[in-house]
Amino acid sequence: MPNLDAATSVNRQGNAMAPPSPLPLSRVARGTAEGAQELCFHCGAQIPAGILLVERAGARTLSFCCHGCQGAYLLINNAGLADFYRRREWSGPGSAIQPSQGAYHDAYLSRFVYSSANGSAIDIIIDGIRCASCVWLNERIIGRLPGVLEVRVNYATGRARVLFDADALTPAAIFSRIAEIGYLPRPYTSSAAKEGARLEQRDLLYRFGTAFFLTMQLMAYSFALYAGYFQGIDLQMKGYLQLFSLLVTAPVVFYCGWPFLTGAWRGILNRAPNMELLIAIGALSSFAYSVYACFTGGEVYFETAAMIVTLILAGRLLENSAKRRAAGGVERLLGLCAGQARRFQGETLETVDPGELRAGDEILVGPGERFLVDGRIVEGSTDVDESAATGEALPILKSAGDSVIAGSSNLTGAVRVICDREAAESFIARVARLVEDAQSRRAPIQGVADRVSAFFVPAVLSLALITFAMQYLSGGAFGASLMSALAVVVIACPCALGLATPTAMLAGTGAAALGGVIFKGGDILERLSRVTLAVFDKTGTVTCGRPELIEVRAAQGIHDRELLSLAASVESGSLHPIGIALREHAVANGIPLTVGSELKAVAGGGVTGKIAGRLVAVGSDRFLRELGVCGVPDQIEAPVGGLVVCIAQAGKYCGTVILKDRMRDDAPGLVSYFTRAGIPTLLLSGDREESARQAAAGIGIGAGIGGLSPAQKASRIELLRQEGAIVLMVGDGINDAPALSAADVGCAVAGGTDIAIDTSDLVLVKPDLERLAFAHQMARRTMSVVRQNLVWAFLYNVIGIPLAMTGRLTPIYAAAAMALSSLCVVGNSLRLLGAKRG
Amino acid sequence: MDSSLILLMVLSLFLGCGCWLFFMWAVQKGEFSDIEGPKHRMLDDDEGPDKKDKEN
Repeated sequence: MPNLDAATSVNRQGNAMAPPSPLPLSRVARGTAEGAQELCFHCGAQIPAGILLVERAGARTLSFCCHGCQGAYLLINNAGLADFYRRREWSGPGSAIQPSQGAYHDAYLSRFVYSSANGSAIDIIIDGIRCASCVWLNERIIGRLPGVLEVRVNYATGRARVLFDADALTPAAIFSRIAEIGYLPRPYTSSAAKEGARLEQRDLLYRFGTAFFLTMQLMAYSFALYAGYFQGIDLQMKGYLQLFSLLVTAPVVFYCGWPFLTGAWRGILNRAPNMELLIAIGALSSFAYSVYACFTGGEVYFETAAMIVTLILAGRLLENSAKRRAAGGVERLLGLCAGQARRFQGETLETVDPGELRAGDEILVGPGERFLVDGRIVEGSTDVDESAATGEALPILKSAGDSVIAGSSNLTGAVRVICDREAAESFIARVARLVEDAQSRRAPIQGVADRVSAFFVPAVLSLALITFAMQYLSGGAFGASLMSALAVVVIACPCALGLATPTAMLAGTGAAALGGVIFKGGDILERLSRVTLAVFDKTGTVTCGRPELIEVRAAQGIHDRELLSLAASVESGSLHPIGIALREHAVANGIPLTVGSELKAVAGGGVTGKIAGRLVAVGSDRFLRELGVCGVPDQIEAPVGGLVVCIAQAGKYCGTVILKDRMRDDAPGLVSYFTRAGIPTLLLSGDREESARQAAAGIGIGAGIGGLSPAQKASRIELLRQEGAIVLMVGDGINDAPALSAADVGCAVAGGTDIAIDTSDLVLVKPDLERLAFAHQMARRTMSVVRQNLVWAFLYNVIGIPLAMTGRLTPIYAAAAMALSSLCVVGNSLRLLGAKRG
Repeated sequence: MDSSLILLMVLSLFLGCGCWLFFMWAVQKGEFSDIEGPKHRMLDDDEGPDKKDKEN
């Protein structure tokens, strides 16, 4: 029977034998009676029991969950902007609010201020912007600060640029104002890489815009020339039109198409024919031929060259903005750890950049600040909001010895923290790298497309040569033969082929990330889509890892409520899951708690304390017997998987409560999803066989196997794989690390803990099993889109090349068809972005 | 007739150039960096003159 010695280890990941309870425990009692509680008017979160903060608005009484929300409401309302509450469109509750007043220092912020034409300017990332009304509210509120000249909030990036008068206003005042209305401001720092990406996108936009305008001009001349071709045209006029065409096409090929030309040249130098070589050959050959025709009186095909460049630039632009959107998430993540740290130098403090911190350094983190590195608290205690890392919305009490995660924020007290590792190795930095890796890692299927293009280019070039030779030798005109050869080059340009996989993977992983699932790579997406068996761990995965009260057995002469009141009062300071369960139950049922004194947790047994002057003990039956309590029953019957907690008052046994780990609400949904998808399920557990089977039956899992050690679980999965199954393992990431890595796809549901990230192939941003179903759906849909794309791209080449070889397809039609094919592929992939969870 | 056509072509080129320069200027100014916000902002700009007066 598990006893209370888990109390000290439950929050420490370092303890390998810690009970699998990765869910952060909350100090604040959670309401269990859903719907009965009121929601905060400002942030929409449930108001914890016992908090009464209200404001009057006409006849209505508005309730708030905390002083921060109340303050934000007052500020917004007094500014005459209460309209915000009517118009906002928030899909979920919560806000980025922090009690961070005073945490903004001008000395630090002034580094980010730069001078612009008419005043000072600062770029601010505003966290918590969720809809257009948030943008509206921020612009109004900041704009009304005296000294602000102009404020513009970018809806897409959530960044604000504030122009202000440095004499009348300090940057810290702007930051505090944003924080006061419930958003989280951070200075935006631009790095060389970010700046480079921005310039690249701008450069691409320049090139595309130029190509687009010039091609439009060109089309006017071309249409005149087409008409002249059919109806006759004055020779001199034709000459002029051709000259104008040449004039506008040259910049398109040599300025707009420059990236392709250099890419092609690199391909030649490396003897690795690439897609750009095909594009360059297509554009240059048609351009060269047209120039030749221009001066010898033939027909020109300038529009072919211009169109190829323009359309491919359009494709690049689409691809680039998708990539940038994905990179924006990484930037946001890293922004959580931007700022300055205060390091202890002996007993004095010095301000340093987080990059200078090394493992073993001690830093001071004040209330309202963020932890910039991973570390352990050595002195002091505080409430920590780890929502950025784990998704857990409620703050957690941490004290000396507890570990803190970079990116989480310190809410209430100043603490001295010793760094575990440098900033570049912190949790947040690793997640950011993970996301970047995932985006650059290639799926095996993607490699296929690349290999295909490598032999494709020489093949196409020889086909074009053959076409030219055949037509010319069989008496065709030089120009017409060259055109047919060109058409072959243009139609074979495997852009659609090259775009097929990456665009779909990009869109698929992007949509998954939006839904809270991060794939470690395209290959994971591919493997997940082919999974044939889903294996679940029990504790912490399909159960909450958090016990709940299921039965009360009061001794003779004692009322149930009295017993629970005693137990919950003694446990009032406890962070142990049992203490939390007892308190939650008491709060939910309106059982009054008494303030106790001399509360003491005894490792390995239970808790004692004085309630109304009498010693009360709560713990295992053995613990009570050791304390000399009389009347403890010799044998206490408990249901399978139940936890027995006995209560005694003044040396006399009062009764027993039974707690049990509850099934997660979302577990049956996930199991039935897999069943519907035709994937069998299996439960592996370290618990007794009987409770494993019971749990499996409870949520509809096909079979349950109990009594397995972590190593046995791993070998069981190895066995299943040898039998030909493609195994998905869902575990809690701590006990199941070996099993997770043994499986084809391992998924840790423990949220953003270190171990989950290291061992898991896909990371669920929030420990929510439904997301796994979403991830699987996304994987399947992405792979089917990839297949559609590949089939389409090949089909198009198979039909197009023979047509072009026989001269039935002029280069301009080939270019149009090629563009159509690329657009189809990209459009098909983008469908994935529209995918919603569930 | 030829000369008038050529004149028109040159004129249209200038017109195109004007558009192109306008576009380049817009990119430079960052007009395309937020293509989502303005449509909402347009609907949000509903502060009447009376509110403005109160402030000042």
